[in-house]
Formats: sequence, C-alpha cells, structure tokens
Amino acid sequence: MAKLGPGQGLGCEAAEGSLVPSRKREYKPCGKHTEGKRPLYAIGFNFMDARYYDVFATVGGNRVTTYRCLENGSFALLQAYIDEDKDESFYTLSWARDHDDGSPLLVAAGSNGIIRVINCATEKLAKSFVGHGDSINEIRTQPLKPSLIISASKDESVRLWNVHTGICILIFAGAGGHRNEVLSVDFHPSDIECFASCGMDNTVKIWSMKEFWLYVDKSYSWTDLPSKFPTKYVQFPVLIAAVHSNYVDCTRWLGDFILSKSVDNEIVLWEPKTKEQSPGEGSIDILQKYPVPECDIWFIKFSCDFHFNQLAIAQSLELAKMAPYGDGMKWIIRAPKTETSVAALPPVVMLD
Amino acid sequence: MASLSKASDSSSQRSKRSDQGMMGRDAAAASAVPIHGNLTQLIRQIKSGRLAYIKEKLEANRKTLQRHSCALFDVAAAAEVASRGTDGGNALSQRAAEGQSRLAGSDLANGIEERDVVYMQEENLAAGTLVLSSSGAAAQRTVVRFVKLPLVERIPPYTTWIFLDKNQRMADDQSVVGRRRIYYDPVGNEALICSDSDEEIPEPEEEKHFFTEGEDQLIWRATQEHGLNREVVNVLCQFIDATPSEIEERSEVLFEKNEKHSASSDKIESQLSLDKTMDAVLDSFDNLFCRRCLVFDCRLHGCSQNLVFPCEKQPYSLEPDENKKPCGHQCYLRWREGFQEMHDDGLGGCATYTMESGTASHKVDVNIMSESEDSNREKGNIRSMTLVGTSRSKIISSVSAEESTTPPSADTSETENVSSDLPPSSLRKHKISKHGPRYRERSPGKRQKVFTSDISFASNILNKLSIPEIRDTRQESRESGGDKLQIVDESTKKTSSKDICGESPTTTTDNVGRESNKVSSTNNLLEHTLSCWSALERDLYLKGIEIFGKNSCLIARNLLSGLKTCMEVANYMYNNGAAMAKRPLLNKSISGDFAETEQDYMEQDMVSRTRIYRRRGRNRKLKYTWKSAGHPTVRKRIGDGKQWYTQYNPCVCQQMCGKDCPCVENGTCCEKYCGCSKSCKNKFRGCHCAKSQCRSRQCPCFAANRECDPDVCRNCWVSCGDGSLGEPPARGDGYQCGNMKLLLKQQQRILLGRSDVAGWGAFIKNPVHKNDYLGEYTGELISHKEADKRGKIYDRANSSFLFDLNDQYVLDAYRKGDKLKFANHSSNPNCYAKVMLVAGDHRVGIYAKEHIEASEELFYDYRYGPDQAPAWARRPKGSKKDEASVSHHRAHKVAR
Repeated sequence: MAKLGPGQGLGCEAAEGSLVPSRKREYKPCGKHTEGKRPLYAIGFNFMDARYYDVFATVGGNRVTTYRCLENGSFALLQAYIDEDKDESFYTLSWARDHDDGSPLLVAAGSNGIIRVINCATEKLAKSFVGHGDSINEIRTQPLKPSLIISASKDESVRLWNVHTGICILIFAGAGGHRNEVLSVDFHPSDIECFASCGMDNTVKIWSMKEFWLYVDKSYSWTDLPSKFPTKYVQFPVLIAAVHSNYVDCTRWLGDFILSKSVDNEIVLWEPKTKEQSPGEGSIDILQKYPVPECDIWFIKFSCDFHFNQLAIAQSLELAKMAPYGDGMKWIIRAPKTETSVAALPPVVMLD
Repeated sequence: MASLSKASDSSSQRSKRSDQGMMGRDAAAASAVPIHGNLTQLIRQIKSGRLAYIKEKLEANRKTLQRHSCALFDVAAAAEVASRGTDGGNALSQRAAEGQSRLAGSDLANGIEERDVVYMQEENLAAGTLVLSSSGAAAQRTVVRFVKLPLVERIPPYTTWIFLDKNQRMADDQSVVGRRRIYYDPVGNEALICSDSDEEIPEPEEEKHFFTEGEDQLIWRATQEHGLNREVVNVLCQFIDATPSEIEERSEVLFEKNEKHSASSDKIESQLSLDKTMDAVLDSFDNLFCRRCLVFDCRLHGCSQNLVFPCEKQPYSLEPDENKKPCGHQCYLRWREGFQEMHDDGLGGCATYTMESGTASHKVDVNIMSESEDSNREKGNIRSMTLVGTSRSKIISSVSAEESTTPPSADTSETENVSSDLPPSSLRKHKISKHGPRYRERSPGKRQKVFTSDISFASNILNKLSIPEIRDTRQESRESGGDKLQIVDESTKKTSSKDICGESPTTTTDNVGRESNKVSSTNNLLEHTLSCWSALERDLYLKGIEIFGKNSCLIARNLLSGLKTCMEVANYMYNNGAAMAKRPLLNKSISGDFAETEQDYMEQDMVSRTRIYRRRGRNRKLKYTWKSAGHPTVRKRIGDGKQWYTQYNPCVCQQMCGKDCPCVENGTCCEKYCGCSKSCKNKFRGCHCAKSQCRSRQCPCFAANRECDPDVCRNCWVSCGDGSLGEPPARGDGYQCGNMKLLLKQQQRILLGRSDVAGWGAFIKNPVHKNDYLGEYTGELISHKEADKRGKIYDRANSSFLFDLNDQYVLDAYRKGDKLKFANHSSNPNCYAKVMLVAGDHRVGIYAKEHIEASEELFYDYRYGPDQAPAWARRPKGSKKDEASVSHHRAHKVAR
C-alpha cells in the first residue's frame, strides 16, 4: 500500500495554532504525591462510567495504583496492586467496564506483554491476556462499547480484545501493517469500527473493522475456550499517512481529525480523507500545527480532557504545560516521564 | 497566524529552482514589478482563503466533537443510572470513604494553596503493604495492603507474523533498501541513526511538481489578467516551486479545463466498448492472471508477467461438416445448403464443401497467395510495402477472385509468368521458397500493424483499394475461365471445391457470363460485412479460430454471442478472416507438415504478441550452470550443496530452443511453462519410474532435486477418486509416486511450542520415518540485496529467518511464513532442508533425517557459510536467538 504524504504548496499550508496557556487558566500544583521510586509511565481517569469520574489510576514498575479525587483538592489512595513478577514494568493503563454488572475494570500492560484486567470492585485480577509477542505500549478502550480494548505492541501488531470473554478478536498486522513497534492507538470517537495507530515506522495508519464486525459481535456470545475463537488478521489499513518523518509516539482523534506528534517539537492536527470504495487511497490535509518547544524526546504522550477542550503534554521530562484548546479545564494531573492526563473535574491537583 | 515558512521544507533542489526564477526575474525586473505586486496580492488572498477554510473546518469539527463527547457522556452516565437501583451502587464509594477517613486528620485546607502537603509512600514488599505518610503540618501514616497479581508466565518474544502456505514475492513497498532507518539502543535512550552508507541511498529523482488547488488558482488568475508570457511565468516561478515549463504546461491544462467547463454541458463520451481492441480488453487479464498458478493477482509470480504462449496447442476436434447439425436458424450450414442447391448444377463434381481447413486447402492458400503476388507484380500493380495491409487485401481479393475461377487457371497463368523450364508439380514449392524470404522480411511490420492498431481502419481502406483489382483479376479469370474445367485431377478438384466455399456467396464461379453484373454487388456486400466488424469482434473472432478452429458455430455461440450470427462469422471467415488467417504462415519456411502449420499460424500470432518490453532483464549469466538431469556431471553438483540453484523463468522460444534461449543461457531446463515445443532439447522430460516411488536417485526427477510433475512424468499420476465421479482413469498402473509431497501439500502436522533450547521451537505431532517430508519453509521472496539490508536489521534483533533459495531470491520468513520457521538450528539435527524445484518454482522442503518420535522437537542444520556463522552456530548445540552474532556477515540458512 502506498503511503500518503501531505500535500505541499500554496493553498496547503497549515495554520499555526497556539498551545500557550492563557493567563486566566494557568494551573498550579497544589499537592504532591510521591509514589515509590520508579517512574510512573501512565495515568488515567475513568471516563467509562460517570460514577467513577473522580477516580484515576497510575502505573509504574510492577505496581498499579488507584486514587480518588476529593472535594477539597486532595486525593485519597484507594487500592494498590502489585505484579508478582518483579521485572514487570507496566507501560500503560486504560479503564473499561464490565459487560454484565458494570463494575469498573482497570486494564494495564507493559514489558511482559501480558494484559492484566483488574476488577476494582472486587479488588481481584479478573483476567490475564497472553498473546502479544512483546511489550505493550498502549491500551485504549472503546468508549461506546467499554468491554472492547485495543492494544499496541512492540511485536508490530495491534490487537482487539473482548475483556468480557477474554477473546482476542482481531489482529491488525501483516502486509499493510506496521513495520516496527506500534506506540499508540486511539479509537474514533463516534465511528465504532474505526481507529488509528502509529508507531516507530513513522506512519499513522487508520484501520476499519467494518468487514470484521461480525467477529466482534460473535466474541460476546462465545462460550468455548477463548483460544478456540477464530481470530482474524486484518492486514490492510484504510489509510497510511506519512505525516511525520520520525517516530510517531502519540495519536488522538479530535472529532474526525487526528492529532499526532513526533519528535519535531510540534503536535500536528490533520484531516484524513479516506475513500470508502478504494482503501489505501485518499489524501491527508494538514490543518494546524501546534508548536511545543523542547519536546523532542520520544515516547512523551499527550492527552485531552473528556470534552477535548484541553490538551496536556509534558515538555522534556520536567516541564508540563497546559494547553487550553477551548474552555472548561478543571483538573490536571501530571505524571513524570511519559503522560499527562487531563480531566474535566473540580480542583487542580498535580502529581509529581 | 499562518506559518508561511515553506522555504524551510523545500529541498535544496527546489530552492535552486527558485533561484533560477529570481535570475530570470532580474532580467525583466522593470516590467515585472507590477505583475509581482499583483501576484503578491493574489497569494495573500489565497492564503487568507485557506486560513478561513481551516477555521471553518475546525469550527465544524468542534461541533461534531461536542456531539460525540455528549454521546459518550450519555453512555457513561447510563451506566450510573443502570446501576442506581441495584445494590452495586458505587463499588468504590466505600473504599473512597475509607480513604477520606484516612486523610481526615491532615490539614487539607492548606493543601490547596501551595505544595504544603507532600505525601510519601513506602512500599513494604515483604509485608505486602504500602505505607502512606504525609509530610505536611500534621504527620500521619496510613497503611494499604497490596493486592497481588498472580504470576503469569510470559511467552517467548516474537514479531507478529502471517501464515503463508505458499511463498510470496515481496511487495515493492516492503523494501528496506535505500530507506533511512533509526534505531534506538534497547538499553539507553541514545539514538543510533543507522542510515546505510550514503552511496546506496538513491538520488531523489527529479519529481514532477504536483500543483495544488491554490497554485492552480494563482496561475489561472495571473494568466487571465496578464496573459501567458515569459514575465508572468518567471514571476510565478518565485511563488510556486515549479519550473517555468511546468507552469506553462499547467496553465494550458487549466485553460483547457475552463474551456471545457464553460462550453455548455459536458459531452458524455459514450464510447462503445466494442471499439476497443482485444488487446486493450485483455490487458488487465494478461496483466493480472498468472498462467502458472491459474489465479488472479498471483503473489508468487506477480503481475505483468511475460506472456508465454505455448507453441503446441491442444488440438480442437475437427468434426466433419456433414455430421454437424445447424446451430440455429442463422447457422452457416443452412446457408450452405441453400448455396449448394443453387450451385450444384454448375459445379458438377465439386460436391464436398469441407469448410475446415485440410491439408490441401492449405497448400492452395499458400499457393494462391504467392501466385497472386506474382501476378500482381507482373502487372506492375504492387502497392508500396509500407501499406502492409494492402498486400493482404490484395490477397483477399485475388483469392476470392482467382479462387472463384478454379486454381488450374491460375496455375496455368503462372506457368506462363514464371520460367517454363520447371515441371508444374515442382513449381509450386519452388515458388514458395522463392517468395518465402520476402514475406519474412515484411512480416514483423505487418504483424505489428495488425495487432497494435485498428484493423478495421486498415482493412476498410484496403477493401476499397481492392475493388478495382477484383475486377482486374476477374477479367483475367474470365478469360482463362474457359478452360477451367478441363484439367480435373484429384487435388485440383478438392482445392477448387474448397476455394469456392471460401469465396463470397454471391460470387459464382460458373456463371461467368453473369459475373459482370454481380461484381459490383459482391463488392458492396464485401465492403459492408467487413466494415461492420468492430476491432473487438475481429479479435474475438481470431481468438475463436485459435480455440475452436474454423468452426463458426462454436465461435459465434461462445465468443460472439449476441454480436454476430454464425452465418456472419462464416461469411467473414471466408472473405476476410481466412485471408487474414493465412498471413502469418508467410513468416516461416514452409518445410513442415502443412496440416500442422495451419494450426501453428495462430499460435505464432500469439507468441508474437508477447510483450517483450515487459520482460524483466534478469537473464544474467551465472558462474555455475546445470543442465537437465541427463547430464552426469550435474548430479554430482546437485549433491554438492554449495552452489546456488538458478531461478527458472519461462522462455518464449518458438519450437526449438537455440543458443539464444534464456533458459539455455541461464542453464535451467525448459519447463512446461516455456513456449517451446515438447520436443525441445532443453526440456526436462520427467521420469518414467515404475518402482521405488520416485524416492531414490534412480528417478531423474529426484536426482535433480525436483518433484515429479503429473503433467510431465509418465507414471506419476494424481487422482482424486476411484473413477466413479467421471474423472479420468489413473495412468501408470496405480503407481504411487512419493515425490510430489510439496506439490500436493502432504505435510505433517507441526506444532509450535516453547523450545527446549531457546525461544520458540517446532515440534512434530506424529512419528515420522527417515526421509519423510515434514513441511515447507515458506516466506517472502526477496532479492539478495534486500536480504543483505534486512539481515543487518535482523542481526540487531538477533533473530534471522532468512533462507537462501537460489541465485535470485532469498526466503524471508520474518513477517510471513509458517511454523517451521521456528525450528532451531542444531549441528546434530534430526531434519534437513532441501530446495526442490516444484512446477518451475524453487521451494524449501523440510525432511526427516532419521526416525522422529511423536512430539519431538525439530532441528536442522542451518548450514551457515563458514564466514557467516554466528559464534553460537559453531558450537555443538546452540540456538539462533541466544547470543549476539559476532560475524559481520548476515546469517543465512542454506539448504544442503
């Protein structure tokens, strides 16, 4: 499949956006919580269930920790989970919701390549998914179907899992797949069959599960062993975009547009124009570029709040800057090393 | 505002261009100034238009996004609502309450202001607890118990791979050659940019500028306002990264586009598909269909293969006319009955109307052609040879005319023309050989003309040209017609009868007196029928001839159904088609059997169509060659195991392969996919084994490291039943060939599991005997150059799945392959790999070296070259994944 580059020349220029925080919305840290000695690689609020909007989790080393934000601006430690394998290093987490009783599930994975599904209501490990051939770099949950998760791995594949039944439904790899580690994935906010992935092969790929949705439905009613499920390979994405010329380490949908970042000190907002009839064709249009100074270290992710009004990103390893994309920013938590998370909730707390 | 710093992106090449533009501008600086200002303004407009567009887009997107997130909020809220009634409630509320109570003592009021309160956690792994202490005004300690996540054993690492049951050629976009790669040290974060040495990175080609919409707009408006001249183009060059010529070209395109746009409604060009030639229609078929695998879009042999048409064809059944039933009321047989009745009296003895070409008719065809040519020359009527078709249509006309007056007359006239010292019987041959070379000379051009351009055009014109000639010859024939029935011997009777059939129905032979009246009508009809045939129909007709022979019923029904009736086809066949059909005969010496050449002509036609320009220039010479299995020296070499096999590419030779045959040059045998005939000396003839199941060196196939082929070998036969379903009976007295396992995919069940040695391993499910075939090592076929590059990358990861296949390809099972790629290396293995030639393709089979028990792990010797072997491979037992490769060479597996 041909990679699509952005159009160049007059009439294709990108507008320059600004990520400079406005005065009135400058966020200050009001609390500091030191969690062990190991770096925290990920942090995430539970967007899947309105009951738990004030709950967030962190992962670092072989530990997964959940907290609850308090009215007074502080937060309380809820639970702490620890992997018996001391060498495990969790890289990513995502919240999901149980298909049956709606209890909050926390999905975490890392260097071992094993996805851990923790039921936070019962404080027990619900499932472990073995299958990825190498470490897992990111997990995201499908917000419209919160028992579907997708994982991006160093083994060059992206896999779709059903947390409810423990089935690996689809594997996105092969002829049109990534040619190096997959670093980031994100579901389209409204198109349930569509997601984007990016990685160390410098490309962003947009995939569609339309033709394979049958298997997704099937996975809910599967009663046999999960290993006997007819897992399918999806080999060809809908679109391959060469927007960046280096590792693409984070990608997020912003409506029908995509925000992605490489190590070029900027976040790029672009529009993928896919063609329904002929996959692999189409075009991309870079709309806006947000310069982020001193952000040339890779594997720094950014994240948006629930309503996509705010975007947060860490600059180098020390600085964090809030970026008001619109308004309504309320609560920011920053984890060192990798990811900064934003949520539209009351007071501002910084975690360091 | 918008970032307009495009210069930073543009390559040096592009900036050079704009420099040139600048210089050009200096020359005409004075006059350009107003234009320049004008254009700047235009550009500003376009840019602000773009910004407005972006703003609009973002705004629209923001709105949809709002909808999306509201929907998501609803989903999330619904979960809350659903659980409200149940006792589930907020599963975390209790915990949260606990947490709050834990922190109740601390002074949280201060915490909000600045970093007053800092919480410290201490892990006490031995006790399985987490101690939380705050360092704020009030020190406090809380303890949380760790929940343990039980250990799950991780699996050995692997890269996701796709199962292949058949080798695939690498897709072009998968190449790593000439691509810059960046590697990060797995330990540190140091970036190692591993671009291959610079000279290997191909020079960026002078790419054509792609004009954006904004640029189009600029060019259009600039040229509208200022006209298209040097100055304008030069100024445009400053703003657009393109050469002046490109801009000029583009402005013309734009002009045309706008013209078209304004010119009322768009004309819908509804071209009938029938206007296309067969070549155009078949192009996608020829390009996409693999004639070796019989599939479209073959991943092994690729698209746009060299078309090879075998020179030997399956004979089509020649059913005598008399036994045939008319295929419909428009069948030529019906017409012929009528015709027969009409002319029976006149023709007398000429009763047999064998329409199918027989031996005799052929002779006559050839004969007449040369004769007519001769007589034409005598008369000085020779048309210029560039109008190749002319001669052809002349032939047509003269054929119809001269044939209509019996051949004897022609014969006699010719004897007069040519030297009379030769006896008439030998004359024929003599003449043919005389004219042979001349035709041959001309034939390439003729062929080209016929097959590349529209035939209809040529023949239409020529048809008209031929009209007077028909008259001419007719006159002549009328003169000689008087004594036409005088000489009646066996052969002439036959030929005349045939020739009469060949003519147009209204041309009567016997009614010489009435002929003058009819000549004009004949011509009209001829012209009419010929011009009605579109190019595609003509081509379909020719294909029909190729497939069914001169059987108008079948051609009309199968290929021209709905387009032409059987009668029309028959008509065409004997007016135009027959003559066309004879043409290719001319380019070969008529030494062989005539009956055969009749068939051959079409095939030769096809061969001539082979797209030579598509041929891949891979016929390089090799250091080592090996010939057919008949050569005793070759057998030794095969056993040697050190030399590379040579990739086989079908040759397009006709008949026999000579020294120029690419197969001969490469040292490969000709296979069934070659164009050459079965009797080609370079052809591999298969085996005639009747014992040992073709699994010993006695079998020439086995000895040549080839699998037997049911198409080639005499006794090796595959049957899929006992004959009850109507399949052909097995040949070779039920002989069981054991040398077709790869072809028939009769592999053992291989299991994938954790190796006893390292990483993954391949295991056998059921016990096997020595020399049993276990399975195939499949993968991507990549070039040696590509393999060198990939090898470097794989060596970093310490896992290589490269396997040398032949002089052209290396198998790479890294991302595509099968489970046997996980079989580990051992210097004391229980399996061996062998490259086999299966139906023209080299494939790697894995065979048992000894008896292997069920569920044993499989090992084979990777046979690294002495300079390639990684350090561990030199030790008695090692694994390919364990240690770093010391050698600078890539590690390849080699079959024995």
